[in-house]
Amino acid sequence: MPTLTFPLSRIEGHAQIIIKLTAGEVQHATLQATELRGFEYFLQGVPAEQLPIIVARICGVCSTAHHLAAIKALEAIYQVEPPPAAVYIRELLMLGQLIQNQATSLFLFTMPDFPGSEGLPSMFEFGGDDANIARRALEVRRVGTELIGLAGGQFIHPIRAVTGGVSSPLPEDGVRALRERIASVLPLACELFERYWELFQGLHDRIGTLGDDTPSHYLASVEEGHAYYGGNLRVLDPDGVEQASFAPHEYQRYLTEQPVENSYSNATLFNGHVMRANSLARLNLLPRLGTPIADIYMLRFQREWGHPAHAILLFDLARGIELVYCLEKALEMLEHIPDGEIKAPYTPRDGEGCGVVEAPRGPLIHHFNVVNGLVEKARFIIPTQHNILAIEQALMVAARRYVHGDRIDLELERAVGRVVRAFDPCISCATH
Amino acid sequence: MPNPFGVLQLSGCAGCEVALLDAQEWIGQRRLAYMPLVLTADEFPPVDTLLVSGAVRTDEDLYRLRAASKRAGELIAVGTCAISGGVANLGDRDEVRDLFFSAMERRHVPRLLPKLRPVDAIVRVDRYLPGCPPMPHLFMLALFGSPDTRLAASVCIDCGRKKTKERPTQLRGLQEGLPDPGICLINQGYLCIGASTRGGCQAPCTKAGNPCVGCRGPSDSFISRSSDEWFNAIRKVFLRMTDIPSEEIERELHAPHLSLFVFQFADYTVTTRRPEQVL
Ligand code: SF4
Ligand code: SF4
Repeated sequence: MPTLTFPLSRIEGHAQIIIKLTAGEVQHATLQATELRGFEYFLQGVPAEQLPIIVARICGVCSTAHHLAAIKALEAIYQVEPPPAAVYIRELLMLGQLIQNQATSLFLFTMPDFPGSEGLPSMFEFGGDDANIARRALEVRRVGTELIGLAGGQFIHPIRAVTGGVSSPLPEDGVRALRERIASVLPLACELFERYWELFQGLHDRIGTLGDDTPSHYLASVEEGHAYYGGNLRVLDPDGVEQASFAPHEYQRYLTEQPVENSYSNATLFNGHVMRANSLARLNLLPRLGTPIADIYMLRFQREWGHPAHAILLFDLARGIELVYCLEKALEMLEHIPDGEIKAPYTPRDGEGCGVVEAPRGPLIHHFNVVNGLVEKARFIIPTQHNILAIEQALMVAARRYVHGDRIDLELERAVGRVVRAFDPCISCATH
Repeated sequence: MPNPFGVLQLSGCAGCEVALLDAQEWIGQRRLAYMPLVLTADEFPPVDTLLVSGAVRTDEDLYRLRAASKRAGELIAVGTCAISGGVANLGDRDEVRDLFFSAMERRHVPRLLPKLRPVDAIVRVDRYLPGCPPMPHLFMLALFGSPDTRLAASVCIDCGRKKTKERPTQLRGLQEGLPDPGICLINQGYLCIGASTRGGCQAPCTKAGNPCVGCRGPSDSFISRSSDEWFNAIRKVFLRMTDIPSEEIERELHAPHLSLFVFQFADYTVTTRRPEQVL
């Protein structure tokens, strides 16, 4: 069976696409994750209190999400509620995470795919009027890491959130400075996003499709006005009707994990269905976001593509709307940092617990069993895994479009890259 | 643009790459010629400087490292994973090793090496940039250098917490209680190892009320020596400042979240690392 292999760049981590053909017919299209460090194994026997520090290292792109999901799982085991002032700081931390990630995915990963007839190798290659995109894009994403640094104490593997709350209040001068930074970057982000939208339309005109648009199940842990802190997990069915809503500890009743042949990443299913998570899932679940500029973009988006929207390249635009939302939301929240207790007392104890946050790529669940203060079992249900089967389905759609009985259209290589980037998979996370 | 540089990412978390993107001032000054995270390049081009992050965990890591190092001028190992294996090293603990390999055997894409290796166990390394991840300003130093830069010798110097006469008698848990903002964490019973950890990070952890776990590795005095000597130095600080039983310190020093970083340099005797090679 002839096999086509496409190594991937401009995604987080190491992966490649394998497409198998027989007699000019596409048989399989798979995403192979080609790295593994083994967190679920080597965490066995580690003292539970160290989890928030160690698991942040699952991923340097979304360390904040892992840091917080672990803390929330430990809090479920210890039965302690963090005080509202601490949750507020953690929400700011998640907003910083989203700003950093969405800006990276938009401008560094996907935007170079749009211009001309072949796209560009990287954002550093934009020329003419677009020549300063790289510098401005990095400026926008840096505000995200600055917010992580402020709220999390560290710009990448954060440390301020601790079991029971946070370890110190936010420094006032830092809050003031960051408010100014975000206020100055917000218009820049909108400008870049407008340009992004234009180039995106150009791509649409050129290729005549936005990819796999099969109506699908969507999974997200969001509600109106949220800050990606996570709560109940919600599922939308392909007709846009909410089909389920469940607490993190009930996940095993709805989500099943299956190993994938020849890949270090598992895949998750919702009641046996292929599903999608990430930006588009959230926007399909939340028709209104609740901040002024983001909601204008939201209207424009819905007018053009309906609600719920299904074409996969729309994940990209959805990320842009979220970037604007997170900047607006962070600005609003930094105006009034609440006073009050920042840490609740607790006694460590053994038991089982789950914690969820809405990470950039969807709901992230950490599930721990603690015996004698040590981790007996650690399980990570990773957002990228929710999308693995949807990615492969979309790869099939792309492959069938560009593989003909007698020849293969060269657009195939670019198309599979765009498909994967639309889902913004994080391979370090997916394999952990 | 002169002086092309490349970034080779082995088995790590990409935090080091994210930190480099934060150090955006290099744009327009040096050309980024290779970094799959942000640019599409089919082949590894010749570069003046190669930054390597992540540890050598798979046969593919090994192959890519060997191939890239041949085309590179100076090679800098970046981050704990590249320098000593980092977090994935916990997978080589005897208790979990067999379990780990038996479960992973079937997938084979690519094959895992029997033991995780730091970069300088495979190829020549000219300089080291420790940190998990290193701060953006340290990346700028690595890329542009400046002979008269002096980084703080230890984290304590940047930390600014006041040492008192308070002598705690037992260790507090890593995340236990709420530390007083102005006073040295050791006086409050936390196992902070900032005193012998190399500076340059500006002590973000201790400033936010968390003990330093030593991600920048040992200060110059311990770089060429065994990790036992680093441990000893930490023990001595606690003897001098507290009445905590030394067995307790001993036990906690070997806790996974610390051993991750504390074994940073000394246990790889393949090559001797000299202080002047370390940023
Ligand atoms: S050193 Fe730390 S930040 Fe860098 S790759 Fe390793 S775990 Fe990630
Ligand atoms: S304070 Fe310690 S743990 Fe924190 S960044 Fe500095 S060296 Fe690393």
